[in-house]
Amino acid sequence: MKQFLKAAATALGLAAFATSAIASDWTPPGPIKMMIAFTAGGGADTQARLVAEDIEAKLGWQFIPEQVTGKGGMNLAMAIKDQPNDGTVIGMVVTETLGYNMRAANAGVEPSDFTAISTTAGFQMGIVSQSSKGWKTFADVVEAAKGGQEIRFGVMSPKLADLAYLLGKAQGVEFNIIQVKGGKAVMNGVMAGDMDLGFMAGIQAKGVAAGDLVNLASGLSEPLKQTPEAPTLADLGVQYNSDGYFAFIGPAGMPAEARDAIATAIADAISTEGNKSNGMITKAFGGPVVIAGDAFQVMAEKDFAAAGELMSAASE
Amino acid sequence: MGVGDYIWMGILAVFQGPEAFSLFGIGISITVLMVLAGFLLGIIVGATPGLAGPMAMAISLPILISAFGFSPDALLPVMGFLIGVMKGATVGGAVPAILFNTPGTPDAYMTTLDGYPMTRAGQARKALKLAHVSSASGDTFSDIVLILCAPFLAVLVEAYLDLPEKTALLILSLAFISSVIGGSVGKGLISMGLGLLAVYIGTGEEFYPRLSFGTQALAQGFPVATAVLGVLILGEVFRALEDLWHERRATAAAAEPAQTGDQHLHWADIRRIAPYIARSAVIGTVIGALPGIGSTLAATLGYSSGARRHARKRPQAVQFGEGAPEGIAATEAANSSVSGANLIPVLSLGIPGNAAAVFLILAAESIGGFNPGPGVFKFTAETVNPELVAAFGLFTMMMLANAMNWTIGGAFMRMAGVMVRVPKPILLPAVLLLTLTAIYVQEGRMLAIWFAIGFGVLGYLMRRVGMSPLPFVIAFILGGKLEDTARQAFAATGGDAWFLFTHPIAALFMALAVLFVALSLRKPSEAQR
Repeated sequence: MKQFLKAAATALGLAAFATSAIASDWTPPGPIKMMIAFTAGGGADTQARLVAEDIEAKLGWQFIPEQVTGKGGMNLAMAIKDQPNDGTVIGMVVTETLGYNMRAANAGVEPSDFTAISTTAGFQMGIVSQSSKGWKTFADVVEAAKGGQEIRFGVMSPKLADLAYLLGKAQGVEFNIIQVKGGKAVMNGVMAGDMDLGFMAGIQAKGVAAGDLVNLASGLSEPLKQTPEAPTLADLGVQYNSDGYFAFIGPAGMPAEARDAIATAIADAISTEGNKSNGMITKAFGGPVVIAGDAFQVMAEKDFAAAGELMSAASE
Repeated sequence: MGVGDYIWMGILAVFQGPEAFSLFGIGISITVLMVLAGFLLGIIVGATPGLAGPMAMAISLPILISAFGFSPDALLPVMGFLIGVMKGATVGGAVPAILFNTPGTPDAYMTTLDGYPMTRAGQARKALKLAHVSSASGDTFSDIVLILCAPFLAVLVEAYLDLPEKTALLILSLAFISSVIGGSVGKGLISMGLGLLAVYIGTGEEFYPRLSFGTQALAQGFPVATAVLGVLILGEVFRALEDLWHERRATAAAAEPAQTGDQHLHWADIRRIAPYIARSAVIGTVIGALPGIGSTLAATLGYSSGARRHARKRPQAVQFGEGAPEGIAATEAANSSVSGANLIPVLSLGIPGNAAAVFLILAAESIGGFNPGPGVFKFTAETVNPELVAAFGLFTMMMLANAMNWTIGGAFMRMAGVMVRVPKPILLPAVLLLTLTAIYVQEGRMLAIWFAIGFGVLGYLMRRVGMSPLPFVIAFILGGKLEDTARQAFAATGGDAWFLFTHPIAALFMALAVLFVALSLRKPSEAQR
């Protein structure tokens, strides 16, 4: 049902924006500064740059990408907050930035201090190990842990660390949870043998397809598109999940006209087949997911409010 | 995908990259062009007293990145340019040393000892040719050692070192670097400590930005370009400007002795200097492979070992210091053979050993997609490891630069002699302006300029109290990695606070770190540099 709703929302969003784009002919008053909260060269950074490239090619808008990394997107949030809100500054984050991270940072800001523009793609968050480990599903991991093997679990954010901890607790085992910067670092750690398994948000797609990596479980509320048979966190006894999206935000108070025009441009870029961003998003994240404008704003505020629950569950 | 496939892909990546223009129907790739441009610029920079290779690398890096962008396609052209500069400067440094008794780069000081006497004896052209052949041989030898060693070392590291050992290895490198650079272990450690302090501002895993006094300005930490360029380049410029202020020496035109006699380099000459080149190349390569020691010590060791051999074997010939061709050969082969070997710790461990390596790591980090370290050399069977292709591309570019060095390097080097006439009162402000521009181009905010000037003042003060800024810079580059690895090792060992001492190899590294510092403390200070 949720999947259907999401698809419906995407379709509706697209349709609504397609018409509003025709109605409004907002164009940016200058080049758009695109802040990116992820390390250059990683999956999310590539995605942001490809979106910019596709929009440039189609609409002739100019983008200036800039890395503002660190603190799970909070550095970007704090930096973009006071930038001009006329549509000339946008930033790519994950919804986790506006939810768990903003809550945990306790930096005196909340989602209402930002303009939610649009999501681009959902995580395909899997719990992944190298296939040479011989594990087929998460039950094998639990068995190994119960047999006395120390298990190193790589994560890329405090929220995921909480989830990994709760997962161990639910299964009656303890993981050595290693936090690194970005999904690519988790993948490198798993490939190099520094970690036994870890969360990856879509970067694992190629390796899984090639048979080098295996999705042991889904970190989402629903099964993974690539490995639908892998159990979800709920199946494994954890009532929280890592559902989330890559998303563009702006400073608070961006005029609706500018926000919608940018959201439309993004939705159009990532949904047009043959576009670079569309190809990349489809391969790594199973296709674009557009939740734009007010719908996104409401979702972000809900995530922010709910973040406290997971935190207190994990600190028990 | 075998090793051969990867090598071939690396070569293709260089020669079949994006095309700059086509010559007689053959496309010339932009990468090849950038190596050439970097190499020529490097010779000019090396030949200009007061400028050095790292300075040109530092200034050109942000400009190159803004021109090529952050795409994977940018990696090879940008790195190619920097490698070209690095190699060109090594050759170029000998030019003013021989012609005007002024070393163009610090490691060419020993070249003046025999080079200038040869010029006075009317043999300048021959001396330049000798320097070129020796330098190019040393450099090529060193690169071959790099290409053969780095992958094996990296594979070994990855196979045997776990997170605690990697943490200990980083600590060992920092300890080693701070004890061998500069005249005093204490100053080296302070310099390193300051670097770590600076890099830990605003970074870390907590959401709350540490050490930032609650200011937004410090919350993101210092951009690496401001710290590195500030301390290394601006500090040097400030110091040089002050020296200039004090000296105001009359710049009398250097007298140019008439050049006479046979200026050709004969096979007999080469046979005579070959043993000196070989010995110095080995010395330089070994020194270069150890992070932090640098080309000046290599040049000194190469020269003194050559001098001893010469005095013993050919007491009747012209001795070192009196215009012996062997002296030039011994020095130039030694200081040039440092540059390739210096990349062994960079590529296999991710640890920079000198300023040039710092900028290569910086380039890789800014562009992304290539993380120097043991992870690069993963020979995957099914899928292509793009980092490995890039590594072999890097090797290809180094050999390409060597080929340029052998073919056109000599002629171009002899033309670069005019650079000694560039007046410092014009040169230094130009460097200052270019550096600040380069920082602004990369960071895009005024705050970065203030940070850089602050670090420049720090670099100036460090130089004034005789503290080498290099441990600072290397600590700044490695600090983040050290913290990450340590945190990960702590987590991976299930929260064992003694992970550095409970794992045998890690404990060994820690013991070595203490030993190096202790031994350097005991050594009389003049023996260290």
